[in-house]
This record gives sequence, structure tokens and C-alpha cells, in this order.
Amino acid sequence: MKTIRNLILTLLPIALAACGGGSQPGPSASTPSSSEEKKLNLFCWSEYIPQNVIDGFTKETGIKVAVENYSSNEEMLSKLLAGGGKYDLIQPSEYTIQALIKADQLRLLDQNALSNFVHIAPEFRDMAYDLGNKFSVPYMAGFVGICINTDKVKTPVKGFVDVFTPAHKGRIVVLDDAREIVSWALEMEKLGLNSVNAENLKKIEPLLKKWLPLVKVYDSDSPKTSLKNGDVDLGVVWSGEAALLYQENKKFAFVLPSEGSHLFVDNLAIPKTSTHPQNAHLFINYILRPEVSKLISDAFPYYNPNLAARKLLSPEQLANPASYPPAEDITRMETFTDLGKESASVDELVTQIKAGGK
Amino acid sequence: MADATWLDRGGTHAGSRRAGWPAWLLLAPLLVWLGLFVLLPTILLVVTSFSHRDELGRVVYSFTTENYLRCFDPTWLSIFWNSILYALAATVICVIVGYPAAYTIGRAGPKSRRILLTLVMIPFWTSFLIRTYAWISILSQEGLANSLLLSAHIIPGPLSMMYTPFSIVLGLVYNYLPFMILPIYTSVEKLDNSLVEAAYDLGAGPLRAFSRVIIPLTQPGIAAGALLVFVPAIAMYAITTLMGGGSNPTIGEVIQNQFTRARNQPFGAALGVLLMLLFLVCFLVLGRKKNSSAPSA
Repeated sequence: MKTIRNLILTLLPIALAACGGGSQPGPSASTPSSSEEKKLNLFCWSEYIPQNVIDGFTKETGIKVAVENYSSNEEMLSKLLAGGGKYDLIQPSEYTIQALIKADQLRLLDQNALSNFVHIAPEFRDMAYDLGNKFSVPYMAGFVGICINTDKVKTPVKGFVDVFTPAHKGRIVVLDDAREIVSWALEMEKLGLNSVNAENLKKIEPLLKKWLPLVKVYDSDSPKTSLKNGDVDLGVVWSGEAALLYQENKKFAFVLPSEGSHLFVDNLAIPKTSTHPQNAHLFINYILRPEVSKLISDAFPYYNPNLAARKLLSPEQLANPASYPPAEDITRMETFTDLGKESASVDELVTQIKAGGK
Repeated sequence: MADATWLDRGGTHAGSRRAGWPAWLLLAPLLVWLGLFVLLPTILLVVTSFSHRDELGRVVYSFTTENYLRCFDPTWLSIFWNSILYALAATVICVIVGYPAAYTIGRAGPKSRRILLTLVMIPFWTSFLIRTYAWISILSQEGLANSLLLSAHIIPGPLSMMYTPFSIVLGLVYNYLPFMILPIYTSVEKLDNSLVEAAYDLGAGPLRAFSRVIIPLTQPGIAAGALLVFVPAIAMYAITTLMGGGSNPTIGEVIQNQFTRARNQPFGAALGVLLMLLFLVCFLVLGRKKNSSAPSA
């Protein structure tokens, strides 16, 4: 056993270094420092913050970053609230920021420590869920849309109605995210993205009971994997994942569902229980640097709210239909709002239908 | 023999008086370990299973039995049943595949035996998650298995193997097979060859000798192996999530989901307690069977 442990301990740094690779931005003119111990516990989405960005931060500041991943806002919430102050920096989406502010779980940001906030596009500042950006800074934005392997699917797919048809049974991947799944059904029934109540959930239940048995794979971490491996032919996935597939092979088309789509904004925020808030501020400000933000866009091509970083992107990157869909489509989109008590019934409904979907 | 006499003498001495404080001292680490990591978590689990939750998913300690009532919904019962079937299938396949392997290893010469045992253990040198991901790239539609079969013209089109009950059972068998081989190997190794020879001398054919002598003598190994495979296989969630794609949920997956994305720890705890009770019943039944069959043997 001991030899195995030693082997792992020797191999781990090598493996991590191999992941890091990539170019790293040099230190900026004035590198701010913090008086805390050189540690940061980062709790973030899987496949969202590239390793070379984390390594670059450690190299510049000497702060060691411990990363833990989650694959849904709800999962993050349950671990954060049960965790007892383990995490220094989290990455919640807009509606979860709203819930966390309401529950008084977030730390007020020190605006003076975030000099790079100026790069954030005006439309991503002062969003309704956190006016004045007192608690959160946008990291990346994106959409949930339909990704189609056009080699396999020859019929036109424009919306959810075309995805969830019996012809596609066993060929669909969807996000393993109850809130998302319910929102698609709400859009389909024209009930409104955020109008979750007992009555509407009852209305969409038959639809979900028709949809979910058609699904082959539920995956929020990396829905692109099953599409890439050919195990499924189409799916409802994060735009960044679809953009990566498109980069790799143009046969993967991305469509914003005709029934309606929503914009998600993922943010960086500091929990009240954080023990390294200064380090967390340093990390946020580092992420906001245009050249760092560009590295994130290179690895995970979501919609970048950092205007200065977007200027650094190549024309191909900006032309990726999954990363940067037409502006008029984006302005039409709504965002999720916190559901409060109702979120429990969303979780329950989807878990139950998923489980009984056989 | 020397061992046995020593044990006997030790037994009579120790049996005549109560265990003193040195014995308790020696036991202390084990007792502390059991208390901290078995008893305490179990108590927490049971308490949580009778609690409510708030809108953010935090546990509210006020008494309710609704979590248990919900467990008996047909949805969850059918998942329980499916998980038992997957685990049962994995156990049976493990016996069928593992027994010949264990028998061969047990009967091999000392040198090749060591090599064969090492070969059984080698997969443990890498994390089971990495090995499971390897299976994903083998089984996927454009993966290794399909491209080999296609290029050899054995199948007309790619087979859909990933994210099916087949891939779940395969993942379970692959990961738990060593747990079946090792206990059977131990009992095969102890098998007294003269008994097998006696069976032949008394006119038994190979099949009869195997079914009437070898199998009963190695039965403790099979039972231990079956338990070591069946019990963890029911509750396994990592392999089943990765290889089942979430559309063939198992009870382990459902419980894990309740603690994470569904944010319903009390309900997850209730399912967990029921699962533990199920194991307890399994053990009691197996134990009773052993006792009742002992006199007749």
C-alpha cells in the first residue's frame, strides 16, 4: 500500500504539470499581495477554469489553489452550507447568487481590490440579481442550446419539440440539472422561464414524462463526451461545450431553441465563511485581467463578458456560433431568478420522473 | 499441530478469567475507530433521516417520518429492485468467471501462483475511476471494441454498448472480480487433495468429484466472495453513473443525488438507512443458513 501511495505522490505533480502546459501571462506591473497564508480553496464548476490560469496565479502570487468541482448550482449549495467554511471562492450562477444574498451567505466585495472590473461589459454590470456588483463579479456567460451531429441527424432541428421526438429515443444527451430541464418544458408550454409553481409544475409533468424516457445520457460535467464518442447524436447542452465540439468538427451545429432560451451568468463570489478572503479578491482580480480572461475563452469558449478580453480573441473564436450567437438573440433572453421554496419541488419532480422514466 | 496445542492451552487459560485492562487497552484503537467512523455516522444518518430540510437544503432537526413514507413510493422501490438485479447479475458472473481463475491459481505451482496473484492485483494499482474511463473509450459507439468488430466484419453496424444495463454490469464485474477471486483462491489453496483423490478412488467422475467434493469444500470462499461483491455492488454509484449515463439509475446514484443536487439530505438518509437494514437482513439470512446447514454437513 505504501509503495502505491508513494507512486501516486510522485506521479501526481507530474500529471498536474502536464495539464498545466500552456502559456502563462507574466506578472503585472504592480502585484498586490495579501497578508494571509498562501492558500485558496476554490470551489468551481467542472471544466470551467483552465489549469494554466490557476498555475499562472500560483506562480505569480505564491498562493496554492486547492480546487474542488461541482456540476450544478444545487450541488454547490448543499456542500457549501454543510461544509462549515471550507471554501474561499465559489462560482454560482445568477439565481444562486440571488439565493445566497437572501440567505446572507456572501461576503461584501472590496471594490478597491478589484481594479480590473472596468473590463466587464456594461450589460453585465449591475444585473438584477446583484445591483452594484456588491457580492459578485461575472466570470463567463452562456446559453443552453441544442447541439446536433449533422452527420447523423438529417431532419431539421429548431427547438425542443424537434429534439424530444420518439425518432431520437436513446440518442439524446441532456444536462443533469433539474432547474434547466424544467425551464425547457416551461418554455415549450409558453408558461415563462421563472414561473415555477405547483400549478405549472403539474402542467409540465406529462411533457417531462414524455421527454425524459427518450434521454440516454444525463451529464452536466462534460456532455460533449458522449456526443464526441458518437454514443448520442444530439443534445441540450451548455453553449461552451457545443462551441468546443464545433471547434473540433464543423459537423456539430448549435441552435438556440426556437421556443426560447435563457442567458446564464456565472460569477465569482466569496462565501461569508471564507478564511482567505484577501486571496480570493486577488484571484478574482487576476481572472478579470484581459489576457487571463482570454486564456479562459481559449479553453472554454463561453460568452466572455470581459470586453477587453474579447478584443484579444481571434476572428474564428468570435465567429463560433455557439460562443457568440447573434446579438439580437441575446438581448431577447431572460435569466433565471431564485425560486425560493419552489426549488425543492423542481428537484423532486425531475428526480422522480428521471428515476421512473424507464 | 503445534499451533493447535498452543491455541488450546491459551484458550483454557484465557477462558478461566475475564479480560483484564491490557486487553481493553489493545482493543482501544479499534473501539475508538468503530465509535468515530461507524457508530457516530450511523447515529447521524438515522437522526437526519427523521428530520426536515429548509429551502436551501439545510437539515432542520424537527421530527418527521415522511422521508420513510416517501421511500415506499413505487419509483424508489423499482430502483431498489433494479440495483439488486444489477448486483446479483454482477455476483453471478463474478462466480462463473472468478471460480475457474481462482481454482487455476490455487492449483498452480508456487512460482506461477505468485505471478498469477500479482496479475489479479495489478488493476488495483490505478484508481478505479481511471479504469472506468478506459472502459468508456473502449465501449463507446466510435470506441475500440466497435471499430475492431466493424473492421473484422463481425457486426454490420456499431453496437450501442455504453449507457446501457450491459455496461453497468460489465463495470461492476470488472471492478469487483478480484474480490471474488481472492477468497475462493484461499479456500482452493486449503483444499486437501487427498479428498479429491478419494472421490476418484470411490468411482466419481471429474464432474461428480467437482460438484460433490470440490464445490462443497470451497463453498466458504464462494460465500465470502459473493458477499464481498454483492454488498458493495448494490450501493455503488460512481461506476453506475459513469457507465449508465444516469438514465438507468441505481439506488446508490439516487442517494448520492439526494445529498448533492437534489438537496434533500433527510430523504437520502432515509434511503441509506433502508439500504443498511437490507444488508443486515442479508447477513442474518446468510448466517442462519450457515448454522442450520452445519449439523447436516
